[in-house]
Amino acid sequence: MSQLDPTLDPALDVSLPATPRRVGGRLRVPGWLALLLGNPKSRTGLVMVGFMVIVALIAPLISVAHPNDFNLLAVRQAPSWNHLFGTTDQGSDIFSQVVLGARRSLLLGAAAGLLATGVAAILGITAAYAGGIVDDVVNFLINVFLTIPPIPLLVVVSGYLKNRGMGTMIVVLAVVLWAFEARILRGQALSLKNRDFIQAAKVAGESTWRIVFGELVPNMISRIAAAFVLVFYIALLTDAGLEFLGLGDMSKTSWGVTLYWAQVNSTVLQGEWWPFFFPGAALAFTVLGLVLILAGIDEVSNPRLRSERTKRRRLVGMLLGGRLVARPEASA
Amino acid sequence: MTSLVEEPSVTRTRQATLLELRQLVVEYGSGDKRARAVDGVDLAIHEGEIVGLAGESGCGKTTIANAVMQILRPPGRIAGGSILFEGESLVGKSTEELRRFRWRNVSMVLQSAMNALNPVMRVGDQFVDAMRAHERIDRRRALARAGELLELVGIDRRRARAYPHELSGGMRQRVIIAMALSLKPELIIMDEPTTALDVVVQREIMQQIDALKRDFGFAVLFITHDLSLLLEFADRIAIMYAGEIVETASAERLGTNPQHPYTQGLLQSFPPLTGPLTRLTGIPGSPPDLRDPPSGCRFNPRCPYCVPEQSGLYLRQTTERPLLRTVEPGHEVACHLVEGAE
Amino acid sequence: MTTAAPLEVRSLSKRFAIGNAFRRAHVHAVDDVSFELRPGKITALVGESGSGKSTVARLLARLHDPSEGAVLFEGSDVSGVRRRRDVLHYRSQVQMIFQDPFGSLNPVKTVRHHIERPLRIHRIVPPAQIEERVHDLLRTVGLVPPAEIAAKYPYELSGGQQQRVAIARALAVEPKVFLADEPISMLDVSIRIGILNLMLRLKEERGIAFLYVTHDLASARYVADDILVMYAGQIVERGPIEQVLSAPLHPYTRLLLAAVPDPATKLQAQRIEMRKGLASAAVDPSEGCRFVTRCPLAIDVCSRVTPPLVEAQPEQAARCHVTAPSN
Repeated sequence: MSQLDPTLDPALDVSLPATPRRVGGRLRVPGWLALLLGNPKSRTGLVMVGFMVIVALIAPLISVAHPNDFNLLAVRQAPSWNHLFGTTDQGSDIFSQVVLGARRSLLLGAAAGLLATGVAAILGITAAYAGGIVDDVVNFLINVFLTIPPIPLLVVVSGYLKNRGMGTMIVVLAVVLWAFEARILRGQALSLKNRDFIQAAKVAGESTWRIVFGELVPNMISRIAAAFVLVFYIALLTDAGLEFLGLGDMSKTSWGVTLYWAQVNSTVLQGEWWPFFFPGAALAFTVLGLVLILAGIDEVSNPRLRSERTKRRRLVGMLLGGRLVARPEASA
Repeated sequence: MTSLVEEPSVTRTRQATLLELRQLVVEYGSGDKRARAVDGVDLAIHEGEIVGLAGESGCGKTTIANAVMQILRPPGRIAGGSILFEGESLVGKSTEELRRFRWRNVSMVLQSAMNALNPVMRVGDQFVDAMRAHERIDRRRALARAGELLELVGIDRRRARAYPHELSGGMRQRVIIAMALSLKPELIIMDEPTTALDVVVQREIMQQIDALKRDFGFAVLFITHDLSLLLEFADRIAIMYAGEIVETASAERLGTNPQHPYTQGLLQSFPPLTGPLTRLTGIPGSPPDLRDPPSGCRFNPRCPYCVPEQSGLYLRQTTERPLLRTVEPGHEVACHLVEGAE
Repeated sequence: MTTAAPLEVRSLSKRFAIGNAFRRAHVHAVDDVSFELRPGKITALVGESGSGKSTVARLLARLHDPSEGAVLFEGSDVSGVRRRRDVLHYRSQVQMIFQDPFGSLNPVKTVRHHIERPLRIHRIVPPAQIEERVHDLLRTVGLVPPAEIAAKYPYELSGGQQQRVAIARALAVEPKVFLADEPISMLDVSIRIGILNLMLRLKEERGIAFLYVTHDLASARYVADDILVMYAGQIVERGPIEQVLSAPLHPYTRLLLAAVPDPATKLQAQRIEMRKGLASAAVDPSEGCRFVTRCPLAIDVCSRVTPPLVEAQPEQAARCHVTAPSN
């Protein structure tokens, strides 16, 4: 049918269906969360991480003993009903250690991740966009921090920080790890900066701040999130080392500490797998969950991936009874 | 001044058919996302002629080129019809036979092929590579041939020692054309060979191709969206829309007497450089989604002659696919309006 | 009282440094360019890639700072202006659209976002009326139904629709000057006319001054009133477009005209003599005409003295010793 009058300007011919407007069912769910819940990978990831967080929160309720309790009568016991995850060489209950250790580990990883990634993003992206002397200075800083070997850096930083404990460790981790990510994010921002849509935003009159945070960063969410996960992972691995260097508090339990003692006592050589396995598995489980969430974040930052999953989202909506997940509705 | 146009070929002797497509169908995807990028295409290319294939993005013209060279990437696949080269079907051939076929019988110049040159190899060496992949020839002779070919396309033979980035875009494209000629194929498929180039360089290259064609006698399948270029250089032109060929005619006839409303619309989309200047309309709307094309004539949503008021015709236009019919010898159109003349 | 032309460019030059600290050279991307844009007129800036035409547009859009010369807006020079208030005022009057329709839109933002931002930044309408204004703008550029389009992401639109969104965004501030940098070269042929017609309509209805940068002479002829031909960073010919195209003075303009495939002149197609040479802006150019290596008319003085732009016909000027001599 020739419904289009050629004397008018050729108007729209919408051949694609409109994206259904998302409106909450019982619960009002923000768009990005709905997307993450819609993607099966990130949904799994959210569940996994959520589970770990809940475990950490209810830890005092479920751990049967104080993690540092000695019980020389029950040393090196394999997992049993009394000690679900077995005991250490000093008779401490590993289950309690893992469950209560989750608190410190998750907190350390998240805080270090946020701090390092935040600094890396702000410095790296702003330097890339602003160019000139700002870029030169930041670039110089990045190069300096990248070439300094981490251990001596740690020693120096720890000399300046008098307090010991979680805060110190978070700061130290951020100081050591920000430069690596900053360089990567700066590179990505540089390649985006000359894209026409950034130039167009400039011509429209946007301020530098708004361009960096409103236009550039949303296009870099995937990479920034990946940076966070990487720092989280490294933080947890180096946790024990840092504590041992005196930056932390060895009396508080965490996965890293448990792993450390397991290694020191050469438990595996003696056929005792449980002091390694359980904290290691907890760490791997958490990081795996985070990585799965990253898959969903790709959809947040690349709208093109979303429409391919509209059908599946509807299915999920049905499965969850349309309560927690936003129900797609015909567009206005 | 030498005329660029060959003498009108009214009494052209029947030449051998080089390439023939019969009801070719190429599909992408599966299930409800299946799309027919090429849907029942008939096309014939004879020795020594330049056939232009014109259409806009998504019409399937590049897919045809890929199908002929058998380089369709999955999920694309030939789902029907046949491709015959000198009478032999290409579809059944083994990998080895195809390898010999490619470059020797038919070669291809891709869009932006100038960016496909290996940046870390000298140009001459890339020639040698290509030639030795298809025939036994020693390096020295291959290099000598490369030099000759470069001169043929207007590049100093000493530049065979250059790296691709040292040459301009136009020169790189000419290198690609020279490479396409290196085994003296009978047919060269060119997919938008001059789109990324300036109009002056474009004309140089077109003139070069014309001259080479005279010397070597190859045929060309020239694929482009620039119909005005084809009207000048091609012998015959086929217009594609949404996976189908809607009109075929000699270049002269197409330019002076186009029958299909899409061809007419396309011609209306090129503002003239000389002569009176009137407000043009282009073609309203946009090409259809090939996963769910309009029923009947695929052009019907955009066709100025498809109006509900003409109910009989309208019904046919929206339900029946028009077939290619001969209007005059050498001029075929797939349009319900034209059929009515019989 | 004669009003100053909204935008005037005087002796504008832009040089880019290439090479490193040891071997530095300069590309003269734009060299001594002067022209003005008048309300309700479209001026075509035509040249090959590397001629400097896009750089001129970006200089006018204040995405680059000129190396020399002045950009005069409503009579006063804006090239050195830095204060946010003044920059914002300029941006509310001079807008731009780009060559790649998809690239000029932020892929993670909706159409509404793109058009809303300028409305908010320049406070064109109070917040309560923004939605309405966004819809109006979409209707103006022919994108209907506006509510549906506003919710879409760039990838959901066709090239032509994307470019219309870019035009709507530029129109939001109600500019006096509109810079269009090859707006149709990446669009399908049948869609180009629609965009060109839209530009014509905006020019006629709103009296906007357009700069239309292109390498395509035919489309330039269709929309423009005046033409500026650029070669290697310099303007080599200018004048009313019909006049220049029917009787071009500069050999380069003649070369361009002969090279364009024109369906209307198929049967008279002539082989043109062409010398080898690149049209890219000169690196550290020496004195003399930059076209001399490719010019069929070159005489001795051409390689020694840079020809000035001389008005050899009423309103038509060219930079050539032979066809527009300066005595």
